[in-house]
Order: sequence, then structure tokens, then C-alpha cells
Amino acid sequence: MKSFTNVNPRDVKDAVKKLGEPNAIAAGGGSDLLGMIKEHMVEPDVLVHLRAIRGLDQVATRSGETQIGGLITLDTLSHEPAIRARYTVLAEAAESVGTPQIRNAGTLAGNVCQRPWCWYYRNGFPCFKAGGNQCFSITGENQFHAIFGGGPSFIVHPSDTAPALVALDAKFRVKGPKGERMIPAAEFFTLPRANAARENVLAPDEILAAVHLPAARPGTRSTYHKVMDREAWTHAVVSAAIVLEMDQQVCKSARIVLGGVAPIPWRVPKVEALLAGQRITPELAARAAEAALEGANPLAKNGYKVPLTKAVVRRTLLGLAEKA
Amino acid sequence: MNSLKTLGHPTSRIDAMKRVTGTATYTGDLRVPGMLYARVLRSPHAHARIKRIDVSRAQALPGVKAILTHENCDVIWGSGDMRNKRYLFNNPVRFAGDAVAAVAATDRHTAEEAMRLIEVEYEKLPFVLDPEDALKPGAVEIQAGGNLSPTARGQREPETYRRGNIETGFAAADRVFEDHYSSPHINNAQLEPRVAIAQWNGDQLTVFTPTQGISNCHTEMARDLKLAPEKVRVICHYMGGGFGNKNQNHDFELMAAVLAKNAGAPVKIEFTRKEDFLSVHGRWPTKQYYKIGVRNDGTLTAIQLRGYSGMGPYRKGTGGIAGIEIYQCPHVERQVYPVYTNKAVSANLRGPDYPQGVFGLESLMDDIATALKMDPLEFRLKNMTRKFQDQLEYTSIGLEDCLRKGAEAFEWKKRWHAPGEGSGPMRRGVGVAMGSFGSNLGRSSAVIDVDAQGMYHVHVGVTDIGTGAKTTMALIAAEALEAPLEKIDVIWGDTGRCPYSVGESGSRTTTQTGWAVVQAAQDLKRQIAEKGLPKGSDLLTATVNANPDPLRGQARVSFVAHFAEVEVDTETGHVKVTKYVAAHDSGRVVNPLTAESQVKGGATMGIGMALHEELLYDRASGLPLTAGYYGARIMTHLDTPEVDVLWIQTEEPYGPFGAKTLGEPTIIPSPAAVANAIFNAIGKRVKDLPISRDKLLGVLA
Amino acid sequence: MSKISRRRFVEGTSAGLVATTVPLRGQTKAGAPAKSAIKVTVNGTVHRIEVEDRWTLAEVLRDHLGLTGSKIGCDRGECGACTVLLDGKNVYSCSQLAVWADGRTVETVEGLAHNGKLDPLQEAFIEHDGPQCGFCTSGQLMSAKALLNHNPHPTADEVRHAMTGNICRCGNYNHYVESVLAAAGTLSADARRKA
Repeated sequence: MKSFTNVNPRDVKDAVKKLGEPNAIAAGGGSDLLGMIKEHMVEPDVLVHLRAIRGLDQVATRSGETQIGGLITLDTLSHEPAIRARYTVLAEAAESVGTPQIRNAGTLAGNVCQRPWCWYYRNGFPCFKAGGNQCFSITGENQFHAIFGGGPSFIVHPSDTAPALVALDAKFRVKGPKGERMIPAAEFFTLPRANAARENVLAPDEILAAVHLPAARPGTRSTYHKVMDREAWTHAVVSAAIVLEMDQQVCKSARIVLGGVAPIPWRVPKVEALLAGQRITPELAARAAEAALEGANPLAKNGYKVPLTKAVVRRTLLGLAEKA
Repeated sequence: MNSLKTLGHPTSRIDAMKRVTGTATYTGDLRVPGMLYARVLRSPHAHARIKRIDVSRAQALPGVKAILTHENCDVIWGSGDMRNKRYLFNNPVRFAGDAVAAVAATDRHTAEEAMRLIEVEYEKLPFVLDPEDALKPGAVEIQAGGNLSPTARGQREPETYRRGNIETGFAAADRVFEDHYSSPHINNAQLEPRVAIAQWNGDQLTVFTPTQGISNCHTEMARDLKLAPEKVRVICHYMGGGFGNKNQNHDFELMAAVLAKNAGAPVKIEFTRKEDFLSVHGRWPTKQYYKIGVRNDGTLTAIQLRGYSGMGPYRKGTGGIAGIEIYQCPHVERQVYPVYTNKAVSANLRGPDYPQGVFGLESLMDDIATALKMDPLEFRLKNMTRKFQDQLEYTSIGLEDCLRKGAEAFEWKKRWHAPGEGSGPMRRGVGVAMGSFGSNLGRSSAVIDVDAQGMYHVHVGVTDIGTGAKTTMALIAAEALEAPLEKIDVIWGDTGRCPYSVGESGSRTTTQTGWAVVQAAQDLKRQIAEKGLPKGSDLLTATVNANPDPLRGQARVSFVAHFAEVEVDTETGHVKVTKYVAAHDSGRVVNPLTAESQVKGGATMGIGMALHEELLYDRASGLPLTAGYYGARIMTHLDTPEVDVLWIQTEEPYGPFGAKTLGEPTIIPSPAAVANAIFNAIGKRVKDLPISRDKLLGVLA
Repeated sequence: MSKISRRRFVEGTSAGLVATTVPLRGQTKAGAPAKSAIKVTVNGTVHRIEVEDRWTLAEVLRDHLGLTGSKIGCDRGECGACTVLLDGKNVYSCSQLAVWADGRTVETVEGLAHNGKLDPLQEAFIEHDGPQCGFCTSGQLMSAKALLNHNPHPTADEVRHAMTGNICRCGNYNHYVESVLAAAGTLSADARRKA
């Protein structure tokens, strides 16, 4: 492995300062980052060990809002009773990541900010994500690539918690040298057409310090459904994060965000509008699924994602609506 | 079958304690004083000529002790290619992962840094990935003389087997069925990546290496390094699996030896997981074109196979596509083309020639049974082999029992339905497939001595690749010596202390080295009867280099039938194996505990082959995309069903206490059984492995 | 497609002209890799050692503390052979830097037995033939240990979930699950079938 210096920041301010040093990089759980360093995908001189900062892994409720420290491990997050009860989709998403070992080390911020798992990027092809100027998947092996929002890069966003956070209308507290900014989750992630080299708006010397979840409205229920190509330790082939606000049998409002289909967590507002004020019947769920996939633009080998995603949306929606 | 005293009862491994306490020492755990670390630089191109290689900057890095490239090392790795001269470092490089240089330095990080300082200028050459494309006119010539790898006799023609007359067979058929299938390159993916330590003491070389055959490795190291065999010692105490890719000697052992010689210090060479996936070998990818003739009553009249196997650029394996011999049929023709390609090298992976061949064959047999409106089980019972290649009597055959008793345990009659029958998105289906594997006898050796305390020391050249071979040898010795197991001490894994043994490949250890143990035990018993136990520090010793009893025109074969039930979600393409029964005729089972582990493991590996695994290549660049456990989607705890094991213990007259081969047959019918179950569930067939979600939703669309 | 000029391939293949223009960074001025002094408690013993910042925990355990029971199968968090307990939680020691373990507690397979008495998990692994080649076994044991520490009587399905980050290419998952259930006293023929 390339040589680097590990630094343990005292606090967030110190971490931001150290991230400002030449060729510094933030390390959360480290599982993915160390692999990338070993593969020479990134070659940092300084590793800023964020888990050295105390208190960045707490869950707190303030005036109805739940605040989750970015450095909470995925395992702790998935077992946190308050999260499981009120923000089920996030607990389930965290629980679906990787393996127990990865969840014990991996952090929420790290999961949200992880780099793509496109096999071209991960195998050292000089693609957009690696600072190059092409996407090899377009004419290559694109079984797992984007059917929405692609171009010029066709990666899919690798995070499971990201769709959950967008579905929960979370806000991200980002700290940097100029202080703090709050970014709605949906605005945190960026399409390749805005910046093909990155997946989000985080600057190299900024850290995702916390995630704020608005108070769950009465009658809210949520779930995360993930399709994998083996029973564990793959990224989502497709996934659906669904939050429903129910009044008896009627859906007052819905937020539906798809994973594995686009370079960002892919929200489908049209479907949300379709569901508002309606009883979720099998027929409506089927219509919602059709609507969710309108405008899908598959590549040569990922057309199967269209019927797959439809099935996932329909079933997950129906299952959640019928949940007692 | 008569019960024996010690052998045949479930017995924990004699070295289990070491395996569960972390004290079993694998090669990577060893350190030798003054040891250097070595790493290998590899080709980033599918096919390229090295125009210039400059190691000066690497050489100048403090701590670097030796560097090898094709310019300063002309060692030929004899086991790396059966047909061509394959050097340790080749120019041109012929696949992404082909070795370009090796560096030894004081620590592994320095070795890696040095490796990255080596400057290589490549001239890229055209490449070809698909074996059929490689045979087309105009395809780049990967080895001199063309891309069809020659036969052992040097002829540029397919490997061919014929009996009867294939045209007569088709003429006799009421119906003729044709279809084609493919299977991908799959890596052995044993948990332990390659690592070796080479240490010179004057002109005496000691190699610590995880090998499936210390004896092969020993003679081949001597051959390739041009040393007298007595100058080489190979030691392997524990090794972390191989499934066929740690048999014979390998390039990394040779590199370590040459680096150690040049550096004047012992060298430990280590491969990363990705290197292990790409640079060693995996199962050869195949394309299979079957044509089968059958009478309306279901009797087979002709089986024809034309197959293509992608060998990578070097001929390290047979490239065979086998399985036809599980059927009785008067007219058979099999032609298989082993072809050079610019993919990773292909050679042995558990049951080398079989699982992919049986997948294609058993898929089409299932379709034929369906077309004839026959239960696929009945179809197999009708057509299964009775004589080896319809000619030789089997020494024992339990195939019918594997099918009948397996079906009973599986509740086949209750579970089977017409293909595709059912409603709703969730479909259940069942599949059966059968297989066979030669359990050949052959020469191996054993030395047993007994001391004054009545302790028996069994010296065998095995390494125990996970099969439990040490325990098997101990059980055979105990039974043959009529001694309690506690009185047996096994000495293994060191050519300095053990006699020649056949390598742990071809599932031969129990039958061949086990037979040598029986012979040595009998000799020793005679000596004890004659002379009594030795006194003081004396030993009585029996040395046997046993040739087996001749079979007198018979064939000795293990048989197997696997039954799988799957649940297919037709909307999401999700497949779950919900029930699995594996019925095996391996003669007498020496240790039912470890044998059960073998069967469960083989079936699990086969399910992974059916559903997940593929070393996928980018066609534009010729570079691999899915090396590693994540990329290959190797089976996990959650993917694995409970595998029920059923023993059909035939009375086998040959071999040690009637034991036949087991390790490799365990995977042979597994991919086909799963594929047939999926077909039964949905009434549609995916003909290209793996049966991944995209393909499944494709045929369902 | 000969346009693809590639910077990296397998680790150790990034040869070529590009690599030569990359200076060696991340080193101190003298050129020596950065080091840190750490204190780590391994199997109850406190170790104060100096480590290179880039060394993984697996590397330090195996190469510098002589605890070679934890194996390196992939070095990428994909196989689980290196699994150890870090402050009681199972993690991939190949995917942790040793400096990050400063002040923390590590348990490895070597710490499972006490005073020569095997852990019930080890006993069960022997009796039910958990290990085949044995290379993944230490990791399987440590994930099982982590599970039983907080769930002493798991179901078969809970065992599979808890151990799914541990690959066994010998495919002996059935026997591993059986072993853990036996150690936990929750193995019954009936439960084994249903789970």
C-alpha cells in the first residue's frame, strides 16, 4: 500500500482543517477506502480519521427532529430503536448493506458518500469517475447500469441509505472551512451531466457531519426493499425506499425513491402525486409501478431492470400499504 | 455391506484441533529469518508486445534486492503449458494478468512500490476472447501454428471420441433434437491465495508452498530449475484449498526460487486475490452444440457433441467437455476444440471436464423427455449407462440406486410436474441430473513404521487440501492394522519425510494412496507376526510402492444423482434453492463425516456455478471485470440450502476397503440439476451459464 | 479500441509510462513511511508497538504480533478470513488500519480457548466438521463468537445472517451453521430441517 500519514482530528473543525492539507482524504469506516488505496484508485498523503472525533455517532431528538451523527455505524443505526420505529426505511436500508463486518465498521456518512461500484471504475478503466473522459459501459457490459438520468456517465448510485434519506426528506449538515451548510438530501446528490467526476456536492475539505430527519408525521410507515444478485454483499441491482403517510386506508402522501437505477437516488414525484389521497389497491400499485418507469432509457443489457423495478415498486407499495 | 471396526464411522479430523485454534500453519503464516517479500507486475493488456522494459528506477529503490523480467530470466514453466514453451515471463504477454516482472525487497510495501517504478512500453496487439472467433480466418494467432491447440500427438484437430456410426444413429431415430449451450470461465476461488517461500542452502532448495501434490511439485521444480531431484524439498503442512489450481508446480514457486537465488536470501512471494483470480487458472469456458437422436419410446440412438473450450493463451488443461458416458447409446461422436484465446488461462477446477458438459447434455436430455412427455427421472432410468461407454463392465455401479433412492428421499413423484405448470408469479420446480467420474487405480506409495510402544507412523505424501485426507489415511491404516485410531500418527506434506504420493487431484488420494497404505499395513502386520514389536528405539518399517490390482477389462467409476427444487420469482428473476438431495455411489465411505462435507461443498459450488459465477470480460478492451469474491458472487451462508446427503454404498471389489472416488463427483450434476429445476418451474430454459437475473427475465419476457 | 490507455489494472500492474511520472508521496521528508506508536489490547495482553500508518490490523496481528490464526484471503473485505473482534464487534481486520485500533481491544481466534479449554464453538466445529481446508475457519469462529455474545440462542437463520460475511469456498456452510447451533444448544434435528 502507498505510504500515508494517519491523523486523528480533535473535533470537526480540526478535521476540516486537516482535510484542507494537500492530498488529504476523509476516512470513515475505511472498508472501501482502504481497498481503493490498495488498488491505487486513490493515493492520499494524509488520511483524516474521522472516527477519532467523539460524539459524531450519536442519535438525538431535538424539537421533533431526529439528528444522526454521520459517523454512526450502519450496525448501530440499523438497531437503534427510535430509528427502527419511526424511520424504518433507514434502519432497513442500513441493515441491507454489505455484511455484518462491514456494517460494524461502515458509517452512515461513508455509505452515503461512497464511490460508485461500476465494474469499469473499480477495475481501473480511465472513466469519468476516475478523471477520464468516457463511460465504458455505454457500449460495454452495462447489466448493472443506469436506466434513468444517465449521461455522460451511466453509473448507478451505490448507497442503500441514500434513497432512504431522500425518501425521508432528510437534510444533510455539512461542515467545511467556511462553516456549516444544510443541504436537502435530494440536492446533495448530483447527476453526471452536472459533474461527471463526482456523485455529490461535498467538497474535498467538507464532511457530512450529521443527517437531520424531520419529525415523522402520524400514520407514517416506511420500508426499504433491495434486490441483490446473491443473498448478501452486493449492491442493489434495484431498490425502492418508500415512505407512506396513511390515514386509515388512504394514502395522504407518499415519497418513493429508487436505488440502483440512476446515478443518484431516483425520486419519482409523478408516482407520489398519483398516490396522494388514494386507497392503495393492487390496481393503483400496478399503475404506480408503470408510472415509476415512464421515461426509463435502458442500455443494451439492462432492459430487465424495467420490469424488475416495476415489480419491486408494485409489491413494496402494496406490502407497505397493507401492513397493519 | 459389512461394518468395519474403525473405518466407515463418522470421525472428527485428526488435525481438527489445530484447524479451530488458529495453530495450523499455512504457508503464509511462516517466516524464515532474513526473508524478503516478492510481488509480481502483470500485463494490463489482453495481448501486447513488450517493446521496452526498464527496471532501473525500481532497482534503485532502497530495499530492492532482485528483479526478474523476460530479459534476465528464461526459466520455462513446464507445467504452465502442455504444448508450448511457456516462460515465467513471456513476451508477448498474452492475457491481462500475464506476468511481466517480479520484484523482491525487504518488505512487501517496498516490493510493491518498486513494482510500480518499473517502466514498460507495450505495443498492443489484436486479441480474441471467444474460442469460436479465435478459429475464424484472420483471427490473431496467439501461439505459433494457430489457435486450435494441437493434440498430444501434435495434430491440429479436435479431440475426438467415436463409437458406432453417428449417421446410422440419427437414421435410426424417430426424432432428432439439437441445441447449444455455453458456460463461462469460473475461478477456483479457494480461500488461500498463492504464497510460497523459497530458501536456498547452498545448492539445496527448500520450497514451502500450498500445493495439492508435494511429489509432483517436487519433480517439476527440479525439472524446471534443472536441478537433481534430491536437491529440492517441498513442504506443505496446511493449505487453504485449491480445487485443482494448486496441483503441479506453479510459476510463483519458480519465481520465488529464482529471486531467492539472485538475491541470496529467502523469498516469500505473495499474490493478491485479484492476481490469484486472473493469473493462475479457472474452469474453461465452453460452447456446446448437441445433436441427439431418440426413438419415440425414449431410447437414445445417437449423441453428437461439437464443443469449443477457451483455454486462454496457454494449454494448461484438457479442455474436455464430458458427461456423455452417463448415457447408454450405440452411436456417439464427440469433437471438442481446445482453443487459444486472450482470456485468463483455463485448467482444472473440481471435476474438470464434467460440470459444464453435464449442464449442456442434461439440459437437452430434459428437453427431450419433455418433448416425449416422459418424466425426466424415468427417461434417465431408461437410458442411464449400464456399461462404461457401452463396452466395459463396471466394477460396481450404484447409479440406478442413486436415481431411485435419491428420488424417494427427495419425494420426486410428489414434487415433479409438467414444465411451467402452475400459476402466479412464484413458481416451484424440480430438476434431476446425474454424473459419473472415473475412480481409477494407480501407483502411489506409503511407508509405515511401528515403534516399541506400538505407535504406528504412517508416512504419506499427501497435503490434505480440505478433504480430510490425513484422517482418511489414518482410518485406513487403523482398519488395516487392526489398531485403534489413537495409535496412528500420520506424517504428511514434506518430500523430505514422505514417499512419493499421487497428487491430490483426480480425487485419487483415498483410492490410490489409501491402497498403498493398505498394502504397507499388511506388510507390516506380517513383519510383526514374524518378529514381534521392535524393542528399544528400533522400528519395523514397511515400504510400499503399490501398483493396483489390474481391473481385467472393467471400469471403476463413481456415480451420482442430484435433485434440486427451486422457487423462481418470475417477476424479479430471483431463484432460491429450497430443497436439495445428493445421492452418491462412492463405494464404501471411509469417513461419513468428512465425506458429507465434501458433498455439501461440491453441491454448493455447483449451485453457485448455476446461478452466479462468471469471470466477465469487457469485449472492447479484453479486460476482466468480475475478479474477486464480490465480482464473482461466490455463494454465502445465506445462499446455501440444506444439502441432504444419501450414500449408496455399493460393494466394490477393488481399492481400499471398496472405497471409490468422491471429491469431484460432488459438483458434477449440480449446475444441471438446478438448471433443470428452473426449467421445470417456468417452462423456459436459459442455455448459457450462469442463469443470472438478466437472462432469466429475458426468457420470461 | 486500442485507445484505452490504462493506468491501473490488478494491483501491481500499473506499469508503464504513466506510473513513472507519479512521485512517491505520503512519506516523511527522509523518505521513511509515517509511523505511529499505538497501544492495543489483544486477547487480554497489552501491546505497545510502533506501526507504519499504512499497516492494516491484519498485517500487524500476523506479521508483527505473531498471531497468524487470522488469515488474509482477499485483503479487500470480501471474504471474512481475517475477521476479528474489535471492542466486541466482528470486523474485517484487513479493512482496518492498525493505528485505528489504538486504545482498543482486539480478540482473535488465538484468544478463544482459555487455560487449554476450548470454547464450546471450537468443540462444536470439531465435532460437526466445520473446517474443510480450514482457511476461513478462524473468521467463521469469530463471527459466530460475536453472534453468541449478544444472542446466546440463535436460530439457524440468525446464524446465517450473522455469518454471511464469511465465505467458505469449500462450501461447508451447512456444517458451520450446525456447529454454531450445537455450541449454542439450539441444534435439533427438527430445527435444522426447518431453518
